[in-house]
Amino acid sequence: MRATRRFALRVNGASHEVEGEAQTPLLFFLRNDLALNSPKFGCGLGECGACTVLIDGRAARACALPVRLAAEREIVTLEGLGSVEAPHPLQQAFIDAQAAQCGYCIAGMVMTAKAFLGVRPAPSETEVREALRHNLCRCGTHVEIVKAVMLAAERGRQDAATS
Amino acid sequence: MSKPAAPLSRKMLLKRAGVIGVVAPRKGAAADAAPEDGLDLHVCLTAEGRVLAFNGHVDLGTGIRTALAQMVAEELDFPFDAVEMVLGDTAETPDQGPTIASETIQVTSIAIRIAATQIRARLITLAAAALSCGEDEIALSEGVISRKGETAPAIALDTLLANERILLPLAESAQFKQVDQHKLVGRSVARVDIPAKVTGSFAYVHDVRVPGMLHGRVVRPPYAGMDAGDFVGRSLISVDRDSIADVPGVRAVVVEGDFIGIVAEREEWAAEAALKLKAHWRDFTAPDLSDLGQALRTHPSTPRLLAEEGDVDAALENLETRLDRTYVWPYHLHGSIGPSCAVADVREGGITVWTGSQNPYPLQNDLAVLTGLPKERIDVIRFEAAGCYGRNCADDVVADAVLLARAVGAPVRVQLTREQEHLWEPKGAAQLIDIKGGLGPGGSLKAYDFHTWYPSNAAPTLALLLTGRIPNQPATLRMGDRTALPSYNYETMRLTAYDMPPIVRASWLRGVSAMPNVFAHESYIDELAHEAGVDPVEFRLRHINDERAAELTRATAERANWQPHVGPRMEQDGEVLRGRGFAQARYVHGSWPGVGAAWAAWVADVAVNRTTGEVTVNRVTVGQDTGMMVNPAGVTHQIHGNVLQSTSRVLREEVTFSQTTAVASRDWGSYPVLTFPELPAIDVMLMDRQHLPPMGAGESASVPSAAAIVNAVFDATGVRFRELPLTPERVLAGLNGTKLLKPPPHEPAKRLPWWSKLGAAVAGAASFAAVSLAFAPSIAPIARPDPSTWSAATIERGRQLAALGACATCHTGKDGVPYAGGLALPTPFGTVTTTNITPDPETGIGNWSYAAFERAMRAGIHRDGRQLYPAFPYPSFAKASEADLQALYAFLMSQPAVRQGNEPSRLTFPFNLRPLMAGWNMLFNRAGELKPDPTRSAAWNRGRYLVDGLGHCGACHTPRNALGAEKGGSAYLTGGEAEGWQAPALTRLSAGPIPWSEAQLYAYLKTGTSQHHGAAAGPMAPVIAELRELPDADIRAMATYLASLNEPLAAAEAEALAAHIEQQTARAANPAISPAARLYEGACAACHETGRAAPLFNAGPALGLSSKLHAATPANLVNMLLEGGQHGIGSMPSFATALDDRQLVELAAYLRGRFAPGKPGWEGIEAAVARARKAGK
Repeated sequence: MRATRRFALRVNGASHEVEGEAQTPLLFFLRNDLALNSPKFGCGLGECGACTVLIDGRAARACALPVRLAAEREIVTLEGLGSVEAPHPLQQAFIDAQAAQCGYCIAGMVMTAKAFLGVRPAPSETEVREALRHNLCRCGTHVEIVKAVMLAAERGRQDAATS
Repeated sequence: MSKPAAPLSRKMLLKRAGVIGVVAPRKGAAADAAPEDGLDLHVCLTAEGRVLAFNGHVDLGTGIRTALAQMVAEELDFPFDAVEMVLGDTAETPDQGPTIASETIQVTSIAIRIAATQIRARLITLAAAALSCGEDEIALSEGVISRKGETAPAIALDTLLANERILLPLAESAQFKQVDQHKLVGRSVARVDIPAKVTGSFAYVHDVRVPGMLHGRVVRPPYAGMDAGDFVGRSLISVDRDSIADVPGVRAVVVEGDFIGIVAEREEWAAEAALKLKAHWRDFTAPDLSDLGQALRTHPSTPRLLAEEGDVDAALENLETRLDRTYVWPYHLHGSIGPSCAVADVREGGITVWTGSQNPYPLQNDLAVLTGLPKERIDVIRFEAAGCYGRNCADDVVADAVLLARAVGAPVRVQLTREQEHLWEPKGAAQLIDIKGGLGPGGSLKAYDFHTWYPSNAAPTLALLLTGRIPNQPATLRMGDRTALPSYNYETMRLTAYDMPPIVRASWLRGVSAMPNVFAHESYIDELAHEAGVDPVEFRLRHINDERAAELTRATAERANWQPHVGPRMEQDGEVLRGRGFAQARYVHGSWPGVGAAWAAWVADVAVNRTTGEVTVNRVTVGQDTGMMVNPAGVTHQIHGNVLQSTSRVLREEVTFSQTTAVASRDWGSYPVLTFPELPAIDVMLMDRQHLPPMGAGESASVPSAAAIVNAVFDATGVRFRELPLTPERVLAGLNGTKLLKPPPHEPAKRLPWWSKLGAAVAGAASFAAVSLAFAPSIAPIARPDPSTWSAATIERGRQLAALGACATCHTGKDGVPYAGGLALPTPFGTVTTTNITPDPETGIGNWSYAAFERAMRAGIHRDGRQLYPAFPYPSFAKASEADLQALYAFLMSQPAVRQGNEPSRLTFPFNLRPLMAGWNMLFNRAGELKPDPTRSAAWNRGRYLVDGLGHCGACHTPRNALGAEKGGSAYLTGGEAEGWQAPALTRLSAGPIPWSEAQLYAYLKTGTSQHHGAAAGPMAPVIAELRELPDADIRAMATYLASLNEPLAAAEAEALAAHIEQQTARAANPAISPAARLYEGACAACHETGRAAPLFNAGPALGLSSKLHAATPANLVNMLLEGGQHGIGSMPSFATALDDRQLVELAAYLRGRFAPGKPGWEGIEAAVARARKAGK
């Protein structure tokens, strides 16, 4: 018999309870128990960033994060930022910059950018590239992704200036 | 595109009224079939104004869905938003073959464009009849029918089509709109899929869930990435199903030939079972690919003469300058970011699969062969997947899912692992090209004798081979001839392709053989220009044989402000040499002589670091002639993608191989790709050719990449590279005029375990022990005590003490019930298996009185008088107070009784003689309760009591003598060993660069991580987890005591030292100029080097401070890499399946050198890896 436990997960503002083993990666619960599709399985080794979600505002690689460490914290996935009808400003910037080809990496890109802009709202382009260094894209959408993040930062500054 | 209220299928449309559709006979359908069975629909307009267009190709993330909808809306004169594209679904769309060769826009779009014009024409005819006017009086715009000159609708669509059911046969051709009439085509349109993709509402094949779905994983054979040879499908000897007996929820283990798959109720269980399942395989011989060029040259091949003009041999004899050159192209990965995934449902009536395949119809055939079902009963539903640029494992995983779903009678989702995708995806083939030729008088192009070797077939779907459904003998695909024809006027020319079967599994990858062939063509013409003393662009223009290519060449050179020059300029800028290079080609694909797609030209600007050999592509000016562009923004997007992906391929990428597993690139560390900081600036110039037919744009801009970059490196350095990738070590070797040496094939070192040296000591123990045989009396059993006799406070105190003593850590079997025992502890003297200490009277300690318990704790004697082995650390426990032992007893007796028998321990002679332990006790177990030291603080005394008593830290952290007893005196807490891990010194002998301080000790014991030392791992991780139960004051006391054994720096001094070390070990000071450095960058840095990245929730510790890297031996580092680690605030995944032994050895050596620069390199890393691998098996 294996020791399973119940874990309270707070995701996108809603409370859930999942049952499983403490060391099972958070990603499996988000995808298979909560039907949240945006965090993607890419490598299972924390190398590519496709599974990135926010935990307490910081970027977390859900494929390598045991569920026990995510319990009772604030988890946000791409779905929690906004929707097609009402996208988050960062998502809108990705739409405006047409920053996706296949899009498999894109949830990780948006979530990493979100965590980064949270601590560095007015970055240089070099800093954005450095921040996304460990998020891999294979289609070669890097140019559009950097543009999207810079666009979001710029709009954020404009909003801050006018409000 | 509007979101339809309800999906409309082909069959529904063909059966209903209120439609105009354009149809064609469905491939393979019976002549007398009903329309819905016998007809393909190309475009269909409904009375509600919905336009459905059907194309057999799929969108690979390139924006085809958007561009096709633009074309249909344009010809139909309907709004773009009204068009719904249905792509690549065997039940819905026509069979238009696999999505390859960038031909969707150029070739397969023609049917829907024709169909759209037919519907438009019929609509006008109907309207004219309804309105009783001439057709030339009717206008159709944005889906609105009006009388010419009026804007108000003249008749509504639903009125016009209400009772119509018009099915028009697809015409052979049609008159399309003139370019000047285009309203939509040629206009940049935002892609329809992006809003859903960036908000998480887009469903990929990975996201398909069907009711009752189970989860599958496969276990692949050891001959990784090889799909031809006698051993394929015939190598499995046996599968040990008991090896996964402890994994819950396993529904089936499916074995057929060399195919193994597992189905489980939860995905993590399937993944765990696949990892643990033991299978025995026959040996195989991996091909020797250490010299790739030689391997290609000697692999059996068949020459095929593609073209011969003039007498090449005679011309070769009469050259002014003879230039014979050889170019070698490595194997590449598609490297889809998402490993392939599929869902299959196998029922009596047929099969439904959900797939990301590029080839729905060929896949349907494969599944028919696999299952014996007619293909009409196999429905292939296509979802988008992670980008694929040719043929990855998308088809393989569908067949896997079908085998598993059939076995369990339920839908099964199979997800491949990253390692499986890397190992088994059909690689982009390696290629070898020889060119013989040279210059005649006046720089004329006298002769061109071109030979190209290309090892590939179609990479048959893997399950067909593994199950033996198709023969395992290699086929040959004649695909090495793409763009083999040069675009220059050589006076004599001979082109020969050497067709050969694959060496490792390979098929096609973006640019196919055209990319290597153009690498050769365009490097060679550059060499000729240099020899002729002419500017490379000018030289090309003199000899180019295609006016569109010439125009593109001129325009691109002008855009880049190309400065004509002769010979390498070697422009020096400090450490860096700068240069620029040109290359151009028209991508020609399909069977020889092939079909031309778009033309592309590159000007690449590079910087080469003379000291490190690093090549940076700073800027790419890329011109493209695509003919008519449907969505120019989409074309630009595709060009960006091609430039970045091909730059990555040229600078960084090559599949590596090993003698033991064939393919050795299994993760992003061993197959590094270009990352954000390395992006070149890209300037795209699109030729205005809207009046000419559209050309495929998906691959062309990749094709000139390699030659442009290599030509630029030549301009910068004067050195020409003819083998890729341009890794720093290759470039440095080239700059130094040396040959790049490949490491020799790895042979694991065979060394004896350290304890084998203990033989002499063991013999001594036997003689000593023989004189001290003794037996202790049994203590009478009692009835199990009633837990209510103890206060809650006492039991709680006992619970904390049990945590301090980490009782559960040892007395719980792997995945077992707490305290019920069963954990096997390897010791130098044999294996001790821990016992059941729950209050079960028969198998546990339920009938032990407190007296019996106390005697066991202090003297190591079982209730029945047997001696216990000191793996049970009673010499430490003996120091505990009476009150604490009472509380511990109370706690254990209050636990649920678990009936679980005890495994006997298996010790070697003479340690298997329990009575000998009495003599051991006489010698080594002399301590009683600790006496407080009055000169020290209460906290210090408390700390010492916890550390030396129930905490039994010395059991691991104090070295043991030859008889397994902790050494005393100055050896106290100076480092020992546990379960193959080094337990570091807790004193001033600690190996880390910063001495332990009270604050860091507290942080470490409390959270499992110290900023200055790293993370708890191995046997220490569960200890930290248990310590969480202790009161904070006790943790502080332990830190106080342990700090007194060290010589801490002042806090500010420690911080300064940490900052200094971080600077010393930072990336800037350690460029990634070796495979091991790139392995670290790809596999480790994402978590361990987070200073400049986005704030990471579960970042790993800074490696420059980690005691694992400063330790005397590599044991802990290697264990951590293989086992991974679970500690307080994070976790590290195991890299056991991602890295092979050689990669681990190289990585460990690199990490030691970079992060412990003051320490000598480690000896015996190979042995440490071999030992840890063995322990993990």
